[in-house]
Amino acid sequence: MNTIVVGQLQRQFQDYIVSLYQQGYLDNQFTELRKLQDEGSPDFVAEVVSLFFDDCAKLINDMSTSLERPDHVDFKQVDSGVHQLKGSSSSVGARRVKSVCIAFKECCDVQNREGCLRCLQQVDYEYKMLKTKLQDLFNLEQQILQAGGTIPQVSMN
Amino acid sequence: MTVEQNFEALDQFPVGMRVLAVDDDQTCLKILETLLRRCHYHVTTTNQAQKALELLRENKNKFDLVISDVDMPDMDGFKLLELVGLEMDLPVIMLSVHSDPKYVMKGVTHGACDYLLKPVRIEELKNIWQHVVRSKSRGSNNNNVGEKRDGSGNEGGGNSDQNNGRANRKRKDQYNEEEDEERDDNDDSSAQKKQRVVWTVELHKKFVAAVNQLGYEKAMPKKILDLMNVEKLTRENVASHLQKFRLYLKRISGVTNQQAIMANSDLHFLQMTSSLNGLDGFHHRPTPVGSGQFHGGTPGMRPFPSNGILGRLNSPSGIGVRNLSSPPAGMFLQNQNDLGKFHHVSSLPLNHSDGGNILQGLPMPLEFDQLQANNNNNIRNMNNNNKSIAGSSMAFPTFSTQQNSLIRAPNNNLVVLEGHPQASPSGFPGHQINKRVEHWSNAVSSSNLPPPQTSNSIHHQFNVSPLPHARPDPLEWNNVSSSYSIPFCDSAASTLSPPALDTTNPGAFSRNTDFDSNANGQPGVFYDSLQMRQSGNYGPTTDAAMLSSNPKEGFVVGQQKLQSGGFMVADAGSLDDIVNSTMKQEQSQGELSGGDMGYGGFSSLRTCI
Repeated sequence: MNTIVVGQLQRQFQDYIVSLYQQGYLDNQFTELRKLQDEGSPDFVAEVVSLFFDDCAKLINDMSTSLERPDHVDFKQVDSGVHQLKGSSSSVGARRVKSVCIAFKECCDVQNREGCLRCLQQVDYEYKMLKTKLQDLFNLEQQILQAGGTIPQVSMN
Repeated sequence: MTVEQNFEALDQFPVGMRVLAVDDDQTCLKILETLLRRCHYHVTTTNQAQKALELLRENKNKFDLVISDVDMPDMDGFKLLELVGLEMDLPVIMLSVHSDPKYVMKGVTHGACDYLLKPVRIEELKNIWQHVVRSKSRGSNNNNVGEKRDGSGNEGGGNSDQNNGRANRKRKDQYNEEEDEERDDNDDSSAQKKQRVVWTVELHKKFVAAVNQLGYEKAMPKKILDLMNVEKLTRENVASHLQKFRLYLKRISGVTNQQAIMANSDLHFLQMTSSLNGLDGFHHRPTPVGSGQFHGGTPGMRPFPSNGILGRLNSPSGIGVRNLSSPPAGMFLQNQNDLGKFHHVSSLPLNHSDGGNILQGLPMPLEFDQLQANNNNNIRNMNNNNKSIAGSSMAFPTFSTQQNSLIRAPNNNLVVLEGHPQASPSGFPGHQINKRVEHWSNAVSSSNLPPPQTSNSIHHQFNVSPLPHARPDPLEWNNVSSSYSIPFCDSAASTLSPPALDTTNPGAFSRNTDFDSNANGQPGVFYDSLQMRQSGNYGPTTDAAMLSSNPKEGFVVGQQKLQSGGFMVADAGSLDDIVNSTMKQEQSQGELSGGDMGYGGFSSLRTCI
């Protein structure tokens, strides 16, 4: 084990994850999730966020279908989708996604199709962005582990 | 089970407490499961309410506690709550994203023992076992209280066997044990000393009529028996049934308004008692509640569920009710004709002009108007299986919470939903329900079939012709992004650059410029990202496959995908800020890593704006 490399990697990891928090991609709930990960469930966080991204894609797809035709928008379905998205995003700590969901819900409540479409695009963007970032993070973790190090527990104040 | 026994069992609590977790959101469910396991509970999960009910009905003693999400597509969480609470008498905790007090109130009035907000924290889950304890000890107390009341009634009415207090108490203990045993042994209770009486709906109807006639408070088994005038029915049968009835009412409505609800509760009560006690040949166990025995059932069958059920049918989104399958709905109504036949003995002081808003002028819960609106929608969305049934049952949602106010307001001017003891036994919304149901059922019978729910399959309702700029995409990421024909800016094509992008920081941004230039070609048209989903292959799986195969490449691909996803972010300003900040961040990171990891340039996305 090359301690210098491990140290570097760990520092990078730390900086990266802190940056994600600071930029609002993640919030405290993500921290809680990380705490739940242990030897018994070493991939817990990765599994959960993977499920989350699956959910996102599906929900976004369904909602886009509902919003598609201007004359026949199923706002109930959209509302249901937003609701679910909000729930799962808050459960994993995907803060930006959740924020968009809040705005999205408001558009849905007043049946503003244009607004909904914008929010939909935005939520799509946000979740994909987060997905990439988390992928980076997990890869960093892998590198640390492969280099023989341990993943630092980052505490966010 | 006595209280003492309960406390002994507590020694093992909360470790190993058996929890059933229900949430249609798989992400939340997984998290919940892990949290619960971390609390050392034994967890079973399902993402379907219907499946949860099956699991619970399979073996009532299999679980100690149920945690359920409120908004689920196949069944409203409140409805599940109601069914579980009444059929299985298990504590139920509700989970929701909504912190709106009216939802919390709804949960409470429907019998939830707690209401947690998502995201759930582990600290909150660590204490949920208290609800199990509380509910068990409350169950024992209910028995005792019911017994006492029965005893006092017996004394006056002339107990045929013993009249003194002690003898009554002995009998009470017997009843108590029978009650418990009937609960524990789900079917036959060998301790049953009397000949089994089958409490059919007809019989129960007579029973309720007699009770109403006498007045709930004053109803005594002997008098009820006389009024019912049924051969071979003993006073003991009636007494036992009365006791259960009282307990049932108490459970349904808390401590208030038993009288108000009781007449409506026949069907539901019967099911509940039978489910609870395995009673008297009233076997519904093999079938879901309300299905086998009631469908095409006796013509005189009471079509009416209790207020509790009504209340629990209420759903703000109406989605759950729409998806009511036969059994639950069947519990309520057989056919519309019966509605007309429905008749309660006591008369209502309330008058209701039409099936419409009978609560005008009465204090109403906030959600009433919303419910009205929802109901109209719900009726249109009604499940086909039981058009009339579902429709009529849909009537209840409007009723639902208003029933509570209804009950209270005319009788005692009580505040909505507060637990004031009811002074007079009169006045329950039977008539109103009746009329309203007729009204709704008429509406329903003329309603249309619900539009098919949006399926999970991808709807290729937009142009799926190949992208103008499309190049072969070895990584298949084209198929990945969401398939909707929303005008995005055309950024997709431009990002179909070869995977081996230079991902060091400056390079990342040059990509963006390409991106923009392409975007300029077709401003405002964004079909590409949409067309990406040409295959039935849904984003996530492909993504995961892609991303996990090769970390570095994964990044690149992810990066591409993100860009091609074509985010026409409404707020470009903030995005630029983000990009700039991430750029800076990654530049510093990039320096550290030497660009080897490839993640440096990643977050620097630009949109096509």
